[in-house]
Amino acid sequence: MTGATTGRLREFSRRTALGALGVGIVGATVASWPRLSGTDIPGRGDNSLSIAIMGTAADAAARQRAIDAFTRLHPDIRVKVQAIQAVDWKDFFTKILTMVAAGTPPDVVYVATEGAQLFADKLAHPLDEYLRRDAADMAEFFDDVHPSLVEAFMYKGSLFQLPMDWNAANMYYNTTAFAQAGLERPADDWTHVDFRNSLAAMRKARPSDFTPYYWTNRLFGGVVPWLYANDTSFLKETRSTGGDWLWDSFYANDPSRNLRSGGYQWLEPNADDPRVFETFDYLRGLVKDGLGVRPEEGGGSSLVGLFASNRIGTTPAGGYWVQGLHEAGMKENDYDVAFFPKWRSQRHQFGTAGYAIMKTAKDKDAAWEWIKFSASREAMELIFPNPVTTPARRSMVNEALYSGKGPAHWKVFYDTLDKYPTTGPIPAPPQQAAVETALMKNVSLAVSGDERQLKQALESMQRDLELALRRQS
Amino acid sequence: MSTTIPRLERPKQPAKAVKPGTPATSQTASGRQSQRWLAWIFLAPTILGMGLFTLVPIAASVVLAFFRWDIISAPTFVGFDNFAEVVQDPTVRVSFLNTIAFVIVAVALQLGLALALAVMVQEKMPAWLRTFFRSAFFFPLILSAASVSIFMRYLFNEQFGVVNWFLSLAGIPAVPWLTTPGGSAAVVILVYVWQNFGFSFLLFIGGLASIPVETYEAAALDGATGWRKHVYVTLPLLSPTTLLASVMAIISALQVFDQPYVLTRGGPGDSTRTAVMVIFESAFQRLEFGEASAIGVILTLIIMAITAAQFRLSKRFVFYQ
Repeated sequence: MTGATTGRLREFSRRTALGALGVGIVGATVASWPRLSGTDIPGRGDNSLSIAIMGTAADAAARQRAIDAFTRLHPDIRVKVQAIQAVDWKDFFTKILTMVAAGTPPDVVYVATEGAQLFADKLAHPLDEYLRRDAADMAEFFDDVHPSLVEAFMYKGSLFQLPMDWNAANMYYNTTAFAQAGLERPADDWTHVDFRNSLAAMRKARPSDFTPYYWTNRLFGGVVPWLYANDTSFLKETRSTGGDWLWDSFYANDPSRNLRSGGYQWLEPNADDPRVFETFDYLRGLVKDGLGVRPEEGGGSSLVGLFASNRIGTTPAGGYWVQGLHEAGMKENDYDVAFFPKWRSQRHQFGTAGYAIMKTAKDKDAAWEWIKFSASREAMELIFPNPVTTPARRSMVNEALYSGKGPAHWKVFYDTLDKYPTTGPIPAPPQQAAVETALMKNVSLAVSGDERQLKQALESMQRDLELALRRQS
Repeated sequence: MSTTIPRLERPKQPAKAVKPGTPATSQTASGRQSQRWLAWIFLAPTILGMGLFTLVPIAASVVLAFFRWDIISAPTFVGFDNFAEVVQDPTVRVSFLNTIAFVIVAVALQLGLALALAVMVQEKMPAWLRTFFRSAFFFPLILSAASVSIFMRYLFNEQFGVVNWFLSLAGIPAVPWLTTPGGSAAVVILVYVWQNFGFSFLLFIGGLASIPVETYEAAALDGATGWRKHVYVTLPLLSPTTLLASVMAIISALQVFDQPYVLTRGGPGDSTRTAVMVIFESAFQRLEFGEASAIGVILTLIIMAITAAQFRLSKRFVFYQ
């Protein structure tokens, strides 16, 4: 009896000990887990200004110097930057909307042109009152920033964001491939015919394992810059009224003052325009003749590596490529950049990005202070120390930024706006996601088959765009 | 040879475990009581999880299908408008047709491949080799579909992909895998089947292991060897497993999203756009949560109808030991 009891007790206490150990481990983990509580999510559970940016934790950390500088100026405002990883801007906006749905929206969001009107229409608070109040402080910023970038953030007469960085669709080219084909640097006003001839020369010089023109199927750098060059687009572009208060205050003496408006509008589809057909047919010809690739859906994440390994002759991209090419081993003379080829016009495409204050922001005044500070030269130099993008401030696009990295003709980046003031933003109405889907899903078909398939694809695009624009955003 | 195998009768009452030296009646009453509590305690997490994360969202989705809602504004009741719009939307129609076509091809390949490989692995081979194959075939299933698809994008790139490089060694010109409707559909199916057949494979391995050796021996005595052995013994006795595998494979394939989304974004055109992808695009890209819910409800009804049909048909083809 005793022995049996002792045995059971011994067994029982071993189990108890093991159980207690398990509970202890779980308890210790729970107690020490740093992000287990919902209040640990940036901006939740305290009065910090939560700022969402697209990027990695490293991108958030890179902003720490700017946050520190801001905190020195405004010790009463606590700032938390939340980096959200996303494949592209559409993906990023989806995640922000999910946060809105979950009831945990950030106070400030870094928004690119692709989402500017979606946010302006639904989510963002206009900056007008703050700009009017702090006009004296802001004059220096607008002096240094091209009005086209500002106009891209106007919506129905109000300004919703200050442009922090931007990129135009310029044409990168591999200088080695050009030299092998006996080509000189393209002229600033080279045409789509010159471009095609250059591709043909490169193809002749390197018949295999090489792509003369690589492009991707997306809103930026896909078919749109070609449409702009041919003085058309897949959506009819109009301008809204209003906004004079801003132009008269900050750009009264700008030579392009008369071009400015209360913001862009894209209200109707335009895929049935004969010039759209002509543009697509040109690209179809490049694909058919092996001069350009069929564009893949979803973007070109592998493009930097391929370009840096001399397997691509030309591709459209913005200043955001410079640091990547440098890190991929390209020397400053291994590549260069030129304006996008002209056609009927030499209007270029650009995209820009800046902070928007959410309507739901806890403290909009604090949010504005962050935006105002971020627009200062001091903050922008802290945030953009390398050419990972083109800073919105003209004065920052200088020799020092590109020193040792290239390209030789870095001036092309800002000249795309300064020399061509009609250069326009990515067509992105509030229904941008549906519009982008309608465009992308038909581009591949349009340029990959015969003329009949091209016509069918454009008819389909017209229908899809009608549906997309009819839907509420 | 007969394929009718008598069912094993289960005992009507479970055997009672009675501690020696304890009165049987009081033990049973208190034991049942405590067992009931214990059962509820163990079931509680699952019931709570199912309720909170499955049943409530399903109910919410059904309700939402009758509203127009963009997250930001208050929902507006629109009756059956969302369903009417969905039915008229050509993209939705195409995506459902794509999904059905995908299910037919992918499930047939998945089950065929899984069964063939399971039979192969069950044949006589060294234990270590069997273990290796089991692990190797199951391995793709534990990988993230998104990661696999990103990797496959590189592999199937027309200009620089490894697949076309191999083809070029054999003098075959580059295939536009991801930029033509046929090519992209083939890649999506290939990647999906490669990643998912491991689950059906495991089910078949389990099913094969449960077939008594004596049945094969009896069949061998009757002269059934080689191919005939599998046709007359393996397939009929494996039919319950095949039913389970096919039900699960079809339900999973009807909800395919990751592979086509990452590989092709539904393109070119709508060639690889699936029903779940349209739900995602409606909800999270176009902010039409009511319409997305309506598509979701239709898809759920289709899944339920197909599953019910499978079970109904199974009475004719499934044999239980």
